[in-house]
Amino acid sequence: MNRNQKIKLYLFLFLLAAAVVFAVLFPRLTLPFGFAYIIYLMSRPFALRLTTGSRKQRLSYFALIMVSLTFLCFPLFATLNSVDTDFSGLSNQLPEVQKVLQDKFFALKVMVFEKYGIRINIDPVTYIMSKVESQGSILVSHFPDYLSSLFEWMLLVPMFLYFFFMESKNSSRSFLESVPNSIFEKSYVLFSQFNAKFGEYIIAKFIEATILGTLVTLGLLLVGFPYPFILGFVAGVTNILPYIGPVIGFVPALFVALLSKDPNVSMLSMFLIYAIANLIDMILVFPLLVSKIVNLHPIVVVVSIIIGSQLAGIVGMIVIIPFIAFFKLLFKEIYKDLSVHL
Amino acid sequence: MSYEKEMMAKISKGEPTADRLDIPLLKYLWDASPLSFLTKESYHDFFKKISVISSFSDNEVRLFTKFLHRREFMTNEMIFKQGDSGYGFYFIFSGSVNIYANHNAQTEEQGDFVIRLDKCQYFGEMGLLEEFNRRSATVVAAENTILLGIFKPDLERMLESYPVLGAKFLRETALIMANRMGQLTREIIILKKKMRELEQRI
Repeated sequence: MNRNQKIKLYLFLFLLAAAVVFAVLFPRLTLPFGFAYIIYLMSRPFALRLTTGSRKQRLSYFALIMVSLTFLCFPLFATLNSVDTDFSGLSNQLPEVQKVLQDKFFALKVMVFEKYGIRINIDPVTYIMSKVESQGSILVSHFPDYLSSLFEWMLLVPMFLYFFFMESKNSSRSFLESVPNSIFEKSYVLFSQFNAKFGEYIIAKFIEATILGTLVTLGLLLVGFPYPFILGFVAGVTNILPYIGPVIGFVPALFVALLSKDPNVSMLSMFLIYAIANLIDMILVFPLLVSKIVNLHPIVVVVSIIIGSQLAGIVGMIVIIPFIAFFKLLFKEIYKDLSVHL
Repeated sequence: MSYEKEMMAKISKGEPTADRLDIPLLKYLWDASPLSFLTKESYHDFFKKISVISSFSDNEVRLFTKFLHRREFMTNEMIFKQGDSGYGFYFIFSGSVNIYANHNAQTEEQGDFVIRLDKCQYFGEMGLLEEFNRRSATVVAAENTILLGIFKPDLERMLESYPVLGAKFLRETALIMANRMGQLTREIIILKKKMRELEQRI
């Protein structure tokens, strides 16, 4: 490699690093950009079918953006009313929950004192409930910020999406032209594989979460369990996280069952519904949709989720898996190359 | 009637005209025209000279060029090394390349010179077809060279969006491989014959 080629390579790597720093420093732009990119990757297979040979490409893309956004937002808006009702019901129950928990904790304290003579002086229930209340008030006080972010996203996401559909070919071509020759072939193939893996993973997880959420909601509705929509929604969303997601999704239902005084609320039927829904997911949906895309060891998945949550919260927990799958691919390639050349 | 007159007649009669002009297609046809005054060679002219692509129709050549990547290499710049993972198939648009075998990774020596490929020739087709391809030789630009490369993801996209074109290109690539195999077999037969002759002499 001569001097000019080296300079070109270092300049390219520097620009790449600068782009990463920019992305980290400006999350208000990066997050909607990333979200739009995810929707773009999800809808690209349909876009290809819709626009191949079509002369009205702009119109096709515009229609596709509208359909994608509706498809993504419809379940949210459709269930919003029911979720809101369930949420208000749960919030109204908070004082009752506090009372039940305090009674149970008091009984535990008495039992420990009578049996072992140890006096428990801490009051974790009041502490937890005050925390929940303070978090709730923070949520309410930040509501205008969330609303303005929402409007910002509503403007930015379709704009970025339109850019991806109309300009991604040209912009990715000019980006690829700037990649130095020495790393072009490999980085182009890896970049394409990452795009394909990422898009397939997100679409597969979205379908998996919808199926599981629907199964749980229908099951809870059938047995007359309270708050079926919000519990189904939570089960679906948390299912996006592999291994620990189903456990997190089950916890709210467990609390509802423990605190409910309604004789119709059966802990066993609720448990069976979650077990059946997760079994269907594990036996049918996951092997058919997701496992072939991300071939990672369970321990790697759990560790990745923890790292993802530390780096970027819930979004990090979701997107870290395809990234890790990509890095696995990258290291395999580097290792293969090293073993040939050494 | 010329296109312009036809359009004017349509407009004056109030008849509907095409809603928009396909500029890329017009530009392509302009470039592809044998009467074009451009001295610069277009992709169309270039691919018409290449045996693999010669069976493609004009429109197929136009679509095929959409999947290509133009890469410019300086004199003595390495295109790929023997043992590298291979993913692409290159056509020499301008310039020439030297192919070397027995590349030494430790001393970074290019190895033994095998052949020089010039404009309108191609190399690296195995990289496109094999799942885990290792480059069997080192290729270095002999002068300032422009290559048009097509890579595995491009082939996949081509098969998805233009299956007929993809299948046609794959058939042609398979033919190249078959020809190379035939050539190799003939060379092996000659070599074996020579070895037998040498053994008899000894």
